[in-house]
Amino acid sequence: MAQTNSQILPSKEATLFRHLVQNYETKQYKKGIKGADQILRKHPNHGDTQAMKALILSNQGKTDEAFELCRLALKNAMKSHVCWHVYGLLYRGQKNYEEAIKAYRFALRLDPESVQIQRDLALLQVHMRDYQGYVQSRRQMLQAKPGLRQNWTALAIGLHLSGDLAGAEDVLNKFEETLNQAPSKSDMEHAEAVLYKNSIIAESGDVARALEHLDTISKTALDRLAIMELRAKYVLNLDRKEEAQKAYRALLARNPEKREYYDGLEKALGLNRASKADHAKLRDMYHSYAEENQRADAPRRIPLDFEEGDNFKQLAEKYLRRMFTKGVPSAFANLKQLYSDASKKETIRSLVEDLAKEEPQANGTTGGSHKTNGHHPTVTWQLSINYFLAQHYDYYLSRDLKKAQDFIEKTISLNPSKTDYTFNMTRARIQKHLGNIGAASKEMNAAREMDLKDRYINTKCAKYQLRNNEHQAAIETMGMFTRKEAVGGPLGDLLDMQCVWFVTEDGESYFREGNLSLALKRFRSVYEMFETWTEDQFDFHTFSLRKGMVRAYVDMIRWEDDLRKHPFFTRAALSAIRIYCLLHDLPSRATDGQLNSSSELSEADKKKAAKKARKEAEKAEAERKAAAAKKPQSKADDGAEAKKEDTDPLGLELVKTQKPLEEAMKFLTPLLDLSPKNIDVQFSGFEVYIRRKNYLPALKCLLAASSIDSEHPKCHEMGIRFQHALSKVQEALPSQIKDVIESTYLSKVPKTPLAEQNEAFLARHQSSARHIQAAVRTRQALRAEESTVQSAQKLVESLQLDSITLADAEEGSRLLDEIQADAHVKSDYAEAANKRWPDAAFGVKA
Amino acid sequence: MDIRLIRSSDIPHVQQTNITNLPENYFCKYYMYHALSWPQLSYVAVDVSRPQKTPYDAPKIVGYVLAKMEEDPSDGVQHGHITSLSVMRTHRRLGLAEKLMRQSQRAMYETYGAVYVSLHVRVSNVAALALYRDTLGFKVGGTEANYYADGEDAFSMRMDLDYLRDEADEADDTDGEVQDEGEGEGSAGKNGEGEAVAGKEKMRKVKVGRQLGVGELVERNEAAA
Repeated sequence: MAQTNSQILPSKEATLFRHLVQNYETKQYKKGIKGADQILRKHPNHGDTQAMKALILSNQGKTDEAFELCRLALKNAMKSHVCWHVYGLLYRGQKNYEEAIKAYRFALRLDPESVQIQRDLALLQVHMRDYQGYVQSRRQMLQAKPGLRQNWTALAIGLHLSGDLAGAEDVLNKFEETLNQAPSKSDMEHAEAVLYKNSIIAESGDVARALEHLDTISKTALDRLAIMELRAKYVLNLDRKEEAQKAYRALLARNPEKREYYDGLEKALGLNRASKADHAKLRDMYHSYAEENQRADAPRRIPLDFEEGDNFKQLAEKYLRRMFTKGVPSAFANLKQLYSDASKKETIRSLVEDLAKEEPQANGTTGGSHKTNGHHPTVTWQLSINYFLAQHYDYYLSRDLKKAQDFIEKTISLNPSKTDYTFNMTRARIQKHLGNIGAASKEMNAAREMDLKDRYINTKCAKYQLRNNEHQAAIETMGMFTRKEAVGGPLGDLLDMQCVWFVTEDGESYFREGNLSLALKRFRSVYEMFETWTEDQFDFHTFSLRKGMVRAYVDMIRWEDDLRKHPFFTRAALSAIRIYCLLHDLPSRATDGQLNSSSELSEADKKKAAKKARKEAEKAEAERKAAAAKKPQSKADDGAEAKKEDTDPLGLELVKTQKPLEEAMKFLTPLLDLSPKNIDVQFSGFEVYIRRKNYLPALKCLLAASSIDSEHPKCHEMGIRFQHALSKVQEALPSQIKDVIESTYLSKVPKTPLAEQNEAFLARHQSSARHIQAAVRTRQALRAEESTVQSAQKLVESLQLDSITLADAEEGSRLLDEIQADAHVKSDYAEAANKRWPDAAFGVKA
Repeated sequence: MDIRLIRSSDIPHVQQTNITNLPENYFCKYYMYHALSWPQLSYVAVDVSRPQKTPYDAPKIVGYVLAKMEEDPSDGVQHGHITSLSVMRTHRRLGLAEKLMRQSQRAMYETYGAVYVSLHVRVSNVAALALYRDTLGFKVGGTEANYYADGEDAFSMRMDLDYLRDEADEADDTDGEVQDEGEGEGSAGKNGEGEAVAGKEKMRKVKVGRQLGVGELVERNEAAA
């Protein structure tokens, strides 16, 4: 520790400094600041004191002040490890991990013995997945303290995650060798560590050795389920079928509701669902499990997946009878997966319609052993069957909404309960499928009113309100169950509690209304939630080592690596990217965050919506302030990190971005990395890259999309748009890029003029609304003005197609706006669409 | 419907199931805290009959039990605690809550030597009370005033896990006769439980009560649970 004289404190101040450090550690920040100031009065340039003060300031949320003071401290004491360490901590607080690591490294160079700095550095390294660095740090920590098991485990984790399985195992073995006596049987940390070692051996692919090892530890392991599951997996993998059979049967005896165990048992028995010859044996196997486990669903449901014909019919009937007798509301949900098989769909329909004619007593299914909902058995039976049929006719693969309505009305008329809203939810859902979003919202609200204390129906109601763009009503509905003391009112609570679905739906709703700023605000909030979830792992890098639950920790790390693969992220990200593309195409939209006159909203409506949104935001702000004022001061004097105020609650600053495409990349990069097989992700990538004039990445997305579904109409549209864009810039492109594009793409597509290709595509796909729409969009991209009238006409005609769905028709309506069709064509379109979907609200936007 | 152990990747949907059904909600980190502290105890019910929509569909969680061990039991007796349990309204009457609870309880007993399991329920929540008392066999131990954030009282309930010890005893007695008993379970069962059975010791000492800086992680007061 080389310090200049001015940096050495006399003993009195040195004592004060020690107190200061203590104050920081115990979060007594006010005291700490006082102490720091006391030292600084006499030694105004004492770097370490300044640094410690800066650290406290940053914990109080005074970031700028903290950085400024810390830089001053560094100027005074360049060679103080304390100052560099604090500098790193400040950056870490800002989540600028690269800079933090740099500062820690400096600090460590000045004080190579510091356990604390080493630990902080290691933490960031594993957080940033710098496994090489992490392994290095952990080796040093292990050398410093080899007596601590944690240090061995941590090094093993580092090696394991960096891919060095043998190294990881070796470290764990070495530690075990140091143990003089066997750890006590109740030593959780040990029990877990040996299981961890076992998982590493298995991961290395040497299953025989893994099994051998497992046999040596199964006596002491406390996680019995893990032992049993691993054993079953290993013996099956080693083709020791007899043992595998026993192992899976033992697991099924514990839990007969897990597919994996049945799959294992099938394999152990050498049975194959695809082979008809095995069906009799499979049937027996499942039958015996069903008999043994009267309350289990899996052994009854699974055979329906592979059985066919009469056998299927028999088992399906048995299954349905049981469900209807018990009055299980998810009967339809449990079976709808089978509807992809047309004959099974038909069998189920005819079975249920036959059962509807029966009275339950006649077939002896009401033996009384089943627990029902307390209604008379006949009522339960009739309710269940009518409810099933309503859902059957509501489902898109067997849709007949008129029938669905009849059955749900019958069901509701049979319902003896005033609070059971189950069937009323389906009534609302059918309205939604009819296109009558307003009525759906009203129906769902009526269902909610049947049971005001139930949050599930409250949630459903809010969702339907958002679908109908009723933001205020939706947030008020949600507010009935959010914490009253939450800062920012109900929305504040939902953001705090990371209620992704609400924030996403609210954003989509604003997007539909053309309110880009609030829509973007919401999608960014979802983005932030994922950032928080990434950040959440931080404490566990330390915590899990202390707890010793290593396998769960590794599982968590791997989940975090792929966190943004989650459909919650994808959904919000795709919308955010669309908005950024819109902002790029028409920067004027950024001024008020509203779609301009091409949107379906009139000027007046837009103003109204904007005003409403402003009012809502103001109200929320006022509530937030009121709540904040009411909130008592936290007890640790100022320990609570002040929550940062949202300076842009309406997202107005967000849409002013000068670099919308760069912002879009933040969403796009994880999508392309983690969800490349999602065709919408590839389309989305194309849209961003083509605008950024990144032709190779755009082509990559185009090719990836084609390999997922070459028949997708958008593949055509993007192919033509790509060639069109290329034709304008080709000369300017570097020859290398040109060559790649030529060889991977252009050489494989027709050479005819693009417009001709598009018209030919249109001619080929006259019977698909989506293809017609794609051709229209393509025309638009090639020669906008001349084709509008013709295109609009095509869209109107598409409404007569047999295959067109309501969603297609709605898309067509949006497309008319996009190509700025004449008002009279739009009203023609709405009229024709309303003829086909009388309940849908075409042209009349909420 | 599969009943299986929770995984980290389930957390977003468990969180969604919770906020859809219940007024007591938690940050993601609180779920992580459970899954990473007592990874054997929390279970989920997954709707595996859902038609797939994308190659990246997350498992659809229709029910969960979030459970833990009491870190420093005031009575000195190892016991588990149910932090939160809920099943989607659409998936009732399949016995999911009970199935989830049974798996969790068994793990509490096997892994941590729990003697009993406790939980809190709103005094107004008649349906939940009936489930815990009538279906699962919990008993009301008392009432805790103002337990919930909104001021409502809670019944504190508990259930002894000695039925699991009896089961284990039985399995030991009949070991070798029961054909279904896999070797894996047989040997693990005999040895794992041998300690508790042989000594007739109710309290197995298991190091779970260590203070591990958990305080920082428990962001929301347990009282809100």
